[in-house]
Amino acid sequence: MAGSALRRLMAEYKQLTLNPPEGIIAGPINEENFFEWEALITGPEGTCFEGGVFPAKLVFPPDYPLSPPKMQFTCEMFHPNIYSDGRVCISILHAPGDDPMGYESSAERWSPVQSVEKILLSVVSMLAEPNDESGANVDAAKMWRENRIEFNKIAEKIVRRTLGIPT
Amino acid sequence: MRSLSISLLSLTLTLLVVANAYYQKKQFYPSVVYITKSNPSMAVIYIQAFICVWITGKIMRKIFFGQLRTTEFEHLMERSWYAVTETCLAFTVFRDDFNPKFVAVFTLLLFLKSFHWLAEDRVDYMERSPVISWLFHLRILSLLLLLGCLDLHFIQHAYLSTVTKGASVQLVFGFEYAILLTVVINIAIKYGLHSVDLNSETPWDNKAVFLLYTELVMGLIKVILYFAFVAIMVRIYTLPLFAFRPMYYTIRNFKKAFSDVILSRRAIHNMNTLYPDASPEELQAADNVCIICREEMTTASKKLPCNHIFHTACLRSWFQRQQTCPTCRLNILRNPTNNNTRPAAAAAPPRPPQAAPFMNPFFAGQNPFQMFQPPNMDNQAPQQPRPAENGGEQNGAPPPQPQPGANMPPFVFPPFPFMPFLPPPPMPPQNFASLSTEELQRMEGNERENVEARILCLKNIQMLLDAAVVMMQQYSTTVLLSNQVPTTSSNATTPPPNLFSTNNASWSNSQGQSETPRVAKVAPTTNVQSNSSSENGEGSSSDVFDKPTTSKEGPSLDASQVSQEEEIRRRRLQKFEQQTESE
Repeated sequence: MAGSALRRLMAEYKQLTLNPPEGIIAGPINEENFFEWEALITGPEGTCFEGGVFPAKLVFPPDYPLSPPKMQFTCEMFHPNIYSDGRVCISILHAPGDDPMGYESSAERWSPVQSVEKILLSVVSMLAEPNDESGANVDAAKMWRENRIEFNKIAEKIVRRTLGIPT
Repeated sequence: MRSLSISLLSLTLTLLVVANAYYQKKQFYPSVVYITKSNPSMAVIYIQAFICVWITGKIMRKIFFGQLRTTEFEHLMERSWYAVTETCLAFTVFRDDFNPKFVAVFTLLLFLKSFHWLAEDRVDYMERSPVISWLFHLRILSLLLLLGCLDLHFIQHAYLSTVTKGASVQLVFGFEYAILLTVVINIAIKYGLHSVDLNSETPWDNKAVFLLYTELVMGLIKVILYFAFVAIMVRIYTLPLFAFRPMYYTIRNFKKAFSDVILSRRAIHNMNTLYPDASPEELQAADNVCIICREEMTTASKKLPCNHIFHTACLRSWFQRQQTCPTCRLNILRNPTNNNTRPAAAAAPPRPPQAAPFMNPFFAGQNPFQMFQPPNMDNQAPQQPRPAENGGEQNGAPPPQPQPGANMPPFVFPPFPFMPFLPPPPMPPQNFASLSTEELQRMEGNERENVEARILCLKNIQMLLDAAVVMMQQYSTTVLLSNQVPTTSSNATTPPPNLFSTNNASWSNSQGQSETPRVAKVAPTTNVQSNSSSENGEGSSSDVFDKPTTSKEGPSLDASQVSQEEEIRRRRLQKFEQQTESE
């Protein structure tokens, strides 16, 4: 029998392939290595990210699902909860005990019950509704709060860029 | 491409140097002397030697590992830099011995070290790779064998040289190779465990435990080696600065392995003692998939107090991280015994009438003071206008009204140490024989909060006793009163054990009260009776209540009353029995 982390990742991959959630595609970059995935997320409708297709990379730890994976957008992003290098900062990706922003309750942290699908769905809802209290990207958080029009413009530019449309 | 050009360049340079020397000296021996005497030529030769080592390394890597993965390569680079830095530090200690041979031996050490690291990474990768070919096994096995032999050889060499020639730089090498040998053994054990697991059809639950203990033992050996090395070095030379970083990491890893073992043991202990195995029916009821590993649960699954079911092995590895339920995050260490008292405790405080029909041991403890309640209410009813009775009833009987925290169990037992206040303390088992000494001690506790809780509990007992006394007094006055006023007699002298009827009465009473507000009543009992019978069509409460009211028509003679009461009681009991049977 292969390792439990591997088996679980395979099971999740199968599940995601058989019943893909709307607007999300995810799978291992290389079927030799199930611990690095690539995901494509479409921007939620009715938000400033609508229409965009955002690529991201998921890196799973050897003890997955006991520890959370890391997620990083590989395209340019401008969002209060995404660091400027693309790393995603949401509570379900943090193991209880490490709290980079010091405000999350343990109830919304990582637990083995979570899955790739849930992470990606959370990220979609994070795109729709940023949490401006945890400023992974302080500039974006500030702009989101104070100058929504400007924020929307930047978001639109990013959407166009991900689609390869000249801005 | 670049490395190829560099090697070619170096090769040309070397050839040039050799050709030049041979051209000048014409003979082999003088040309060798010439090269060794000339610094630029030696530099070229050194570079060439370095490149040769590099190429050998590449070839060996190709043979034993094939293509390196990115993470493996990153690890290798990172570790190499540290190793090079430490080697430079080591040079400072042994600067007297510094010569080309010394450098060569150190390079060899680094070279072998890097293969140990790669082997380690590769074996760790086994668990995460979907396909393991026979080539992989062949490579790992031969590499481990080779590395082990080399390590042993160098340890022996270092030992012999130290014994014959006294302490020298060989001490460092001996020690380094000893560490590397432990690494090889560690990798070999891991490899063995992984391959056994790979070949078995079902997941091997105990593998994690074996790995943990391997880690612990190997960590211990390494820590001892490092301490011994530092002690020897301090005695003979000076503080070996270059050994501190690896030593620190080794100690840290050992500490981690140690705490992992402890946590794991605790988790296993909890698993085995606190939680029941899930039955097949329960597995069927849940959707039979362990949410941790997403696989079917066939055997070896446990049910947590919160009714969530998981594989034993999955749960165990999770509990090493955290002692919560993965699904609902219930802290399983805080209330290990709460599971059986929780439903009862929830039902206990609010309404005695609802609670009464369950006859479990928990309520048996509660009953003593419940029994006083109905007479108290019934006795208030005739004497006072309706509102008073109502108030008394909705809060329960005023005096024994307990705070939730001071609920029944503290009567007899000391409170549970972890939660002196809310929620209600868990019910201790009926006898303490089933508990271990340790558990008993934990239960008793001697921190401040425990003592406080005990005092609080004693106070509550006192309060309840006082309440009981007050009720007894009221009871006796009611009896006295009932001798004079026949209408109330039946209610007041309702035998205490028969609390169901009275409870039902008071319940229907309160229902009637809430639904039809009424003015003060003249003949309370009849009122209540008609009310309950009219509004509570179902027989249970009204029927039972019917009996006492019929007795009211009877004469008020003491003797006949007593016998009549006896009769009523008998009939009621009968009724109750029928009722429970039918239910």
